[in-house]
Amino acid sequence: MSFSATGLLLASLLYLILLFGIAWSTERGTLLRRWVRHPLVYTLSLGVYAGIWAVYGAIGMAAESGYGFLAYYLGISGAFLLAPVLLNPILRIGRAYQLTSLADLFAYRYRSQWAGTLVTLCSAAAILALLSMQIQAVAVSASLLAPDTSPKAISVMFSLIVVLFTMLFGARHHQNTGNHQGLVLAIAFDSLVKVVALLVLGGVILFGVFGGTAGLEQWLAEASHPEVTMTAAIDDGSWRALLLMSFAAALVLPHMYHMTFSENPSPRALAKASWGLPLYLLLLGLPVPLIVWAGQALDVGVPAAFFSIGVAQALDSPALTLMMYIAGLSAASGLMIVSTLSLAGMVLNHVVLPLKTPKDQGDIYRWLQWVKRLLIAAILFLALLFHETIGQHLDLSILGAISLSGTLQLLPGALGVIYWPEGNRRGLIAGLMTGLAIWLITLVLPFSHGTDLLIWLDLPVSPGYDNWHLFTFVSLTANISVFALVSILSPASAEETSAAQACSVGALSRPQRRELLAASSNDFIQQLADPLGMSVARREVERGLEQLKLPNVEFRPYQLRRLRDQVEVNLSGLLGPSVARDIVKRHLGFKPLTHGGTGQDIRYVERALGDYQNQLTGLAGELDNLRRHYRQTLQNLPIPACSVGEDGEILMWNHAMEFLTGISADEVVGAKLLALPDRWHALLDDFNRDNELHRYKHRLDLGGKPHWLNLHKAALSGPDHTEGGSIILVEDQTETRLLEDELMHSERLASVGRLAAGVAHEIGNPVTGISSLAQNLKLETDDPSILETADQIQQQTRRISTILQSLMNFARTGNHAHANRYEPVNIHRCIEESINLLSLSDRGMGISYLNQCPQSLQVLGDEQRLVQVFVNLLANARDASPDGGTIRVSGNRDGYSAIIEVIDEGTGIPADQLDHIFEPFYTTKAPNKGTGLGLSLVYSIVEEHYGNVQVESPANRNTGRGTCMRLRLPAYEPETDTGNSTPNERS
Amino acid sequence: MYIYRLVFLLVLAIYIFSPNILDWWTSPDNTWYSPYVIWGGLIAIGFWLEWRRDPNEF
Repeated sequence: MSFSATGLLLASLLYLILLFGIAWSTERGTLLRRWVRHPLVYTLSLGVYAGIWAVYGAIGMAAESGYGFLAYYLGISGAFLLAPVLLNPILRIGRAYQLTSLADLFAYRYRSQWAGTLVTLCSAAAILALLSMQIQAVAVSASLLAPDTSPKAISVMFSLIVVLFTMLFGARHHQNTGNHQGLVLAIAFDSLVKVVALLVLGGVILFGVFGGTAGLEQWLAEASHPEVTMTAAIDDGSWRALLLMSFAAALVLPHMYHMTFSENPSPRALAKASWGLPLYLLLLGLPVPLIVWAGQALDVGVPAAFFSIGVAQALDSPALTLMMYIAGLSAASGLMIVSTLSLAGMVLNHVVLPLKTPKDQGDIYRWLQWVKRLLIAAILFLALLFHETIGQHLDLSILGAISLSGTLQLLPGALGVIYWPEGNRRGLIAGLMTGLAIWLITLVLPFSHGTDLLIWLDLPVSPGYDNWHLFTFVSLTANISVFALVSILSPASAEETSAAQACSVGALSRPQRRELLAASSNDFIQQLADPLGMSVARREVERGLEQLKLPNVEFRPYQLRRLRDQVEVNLSGLLGPSVARDIVKRHLGFKPLTHGGTGQDIRYVERALGDYQNQLTGLAGELDNLRRHYRQTLQNLPIPACSVGEDGEILMWNHAMEFLTGISADEVVGAKLLALPDRWHALLDDFNRDNELHRYKHRLDLGGKPHWLNLHKAALSGPDHTEGGSIILVEDQTETRLLEDELMHSERLASVGRLAAGVAHEIGNPVTGISSLAQNLKLETDDPSILETADQIQQQTRRISTILQSLMNFARTGNHAHANRYEPVNIHRCIEESINLLSLSDRGMGISYLNQCPQSLQVLGDEQRLVQVFVNLLANARDASPDGGTIRVSGNRDGYSAIIEVIDEGTGIPADQLDHIFEPFYTTKAPNKGTGLGLSLVYSIVEEHYGNVQVESPANRNTGRGTCMRLRLPAYEPETDTGNSTPNERS
Repeated sequence: MYIYRLVFLLVLAIYIFSPNILDWWTSPDNTWYSPYVIWGGLIAIGFWLEWRRDPNEF
């Protein structure tokens, strides 16, 4: 059964147009787009790995070596089942640093453009063989179906369609980091077609050819030959080689890296694919033995690799035959599209851009897109050329072996990225060169060109179809040995060590805290405009600011460093990590170091640790808890504290500091001290620069009120912390300062009091003398005028004596030692006595006194002194009262206090005088009416009795008149016999 | 890192003995689909591990 060339061509075209349709409608945002991020689509798209191996290669190998073909599926299944430790770390690094290919990963990790270029060239050489394999499979299968078709024409036509597809859907989304959604869905569809076609063929064979499982078992029992029943022992060497290459393929094949990491929608999808892909491959492998046995049972006359088509033809089913052809076509096209696309990206980033940076291009995105399209065309042209000159003469299996053993050389470096931080670029390049040289000499040249350079070495073996695996192992072993040896012997740069740490499993990057030349994000745009052009620079910086959720213009050094990293990451996705790093390093440089080293970016590390919180377990988790504890201690310290780096950058700003300054930590941490408001900047920056370690009672006016601050500083450097910087404590001494002022004021008053008492005592004697002399004068004369003068002298001396007595009384207060002589005092009686005393000198103003104090109210104290208190209070009340006024004295109990109020109906005390009325010598009375010591005396005596005095003026809010003097004294409670006495005491 | 060392040793051991394991899978005493059944069992274990995995693990 055969098809016409036109019919076959039409069928091929129709299928590829269907693929175009799927990709196009996905890109246009139709319903299909919803499926793109589904883990099932992602898993199916990973089926691109199988390529034509699924439809042809595996069957050919199964016919030759039985179940050995499973190695190609089991190896990568193992890699995916180990995804948490093998693929997830790479995914994490790739996503964090926008590394879109293995070459990007190598260039980033080993900090070497050469590493990236070498990986690109190695992949390109290996991929050419793989692409040639796909073209060959399609051409041969087409010629089997339509014998009059020219295989060359089919190869060219097929390649052209693939070029067109890849250009259209692969090079579209260059300017952003989004996935190629149309491409992913088309590839997933390819994988679906493959597996459905194979399962259908398997089912048809099982039930159509063998009549069910029983029939198959019977046929196998009859055949009994191990090679026919696929039970012959497998060849250990080639099995192990294929298993290893397949395992490595998950990481090192460009199309697998691209689909697994670059097109990955989420880590969850990768977790699902960790068992989904092995399941998919199992379904692909399941019909293989059936097809082989059917090919043998039906004795189809085609090479074993093409049994799938041969069996379908033998079953005389055009639909099944066409379906198998389409399955092969889809497998080949899927792999070619993805590997060409990923290889074009690698060549662009690691061969073209390092040679020519697009400085003068108006639109860098467009330029990149077109260069990538040209590269896609060039790669497929080279693959076609390789196929026409060399590939078509080689067996499918050996093409696969050459290709995979070439990419296998990248495995040591790839594993080194995550598991061996000590590996360095010299080791990597030396190991790769060695491995690739052996691969070229022992596998590529002998099979492609017939040149066997090993003859010169006179070795007992020469490369052949049965021992290729030996040379694969030799090249890999040499690669690993040289990589390890050179890495151990040669030093790695600080930059490389830092990148290795960033890539290692469970490690955090520890960036240096250095000052950028750019002072703001606008400076970034200016500096990047040189290599990228103004519009691209602006767009990239704005994108970075938006991703980091920063304001439109950013000044803070810490945030600028984050922005710099983000710009590098974004440019890495666009231009590859080497070019991006080069641009960022050259144009967004740091200021030169003024001394030996710089501090770590503590805030950056803290932030990263915060993100890692849930992932830290065991000792790391405990240490993190400890870190949080100390951090919290510092944050909640009731003393305002901040720490400052050597360059004046604020590293910590605790809650008390936020409260004192009114500036939140988010605003200032990562910024310079210079960025603080003027008064704080002037204080802290000046103190930080100064040599003094303490500054006391610095006055700062905050909110219109003076504050007094003590500042203390300590250097952060020590044996465990060589970086500079300091911690600054700010003590708010305002309250203490106010108390001190008050104390000094009291002291001054006390001194004045003591002085006055001394003066009073000294004056008292001569005054007594004068009074006596006046008395004598009165006895010695009868002259009325002299007698009157003597009387006046005596009056004035009495007045002086009264003043002096008041002064003496005032000076006597303040001695609490008298407290133990206190006795219960009836307040009512005290008040009565005071009223009586005042009545004696009542000046006829008609004042009435109302003593409303209850008889029961008692306090513990000195009765005479309390009488003195009431005399003073009542005298003041009387002087303030209008004629005929009433002075009311009330008393009551409030818990353990006795409250006595003296209320008059006078004019009250103006508010501005209230604060001064208890000060000695302060009086509002006329010069001859008062000494200004009365209320001071009251205050002192009440304090002696452990009480206090309050003034309320006006006492009557309705009339706005009157003053209420309120005394609060500890109430006396007579003890009863039954209360506290014990029976023994009573008896 | 001890978990990674264990995984590495396990993978290495499986790799070295893989031809013997496959010979055992495909021995004439077993049915033709025995390798697929065992492979399917491994996938089921992988599925179970993924299903019960703490999202923050590793």
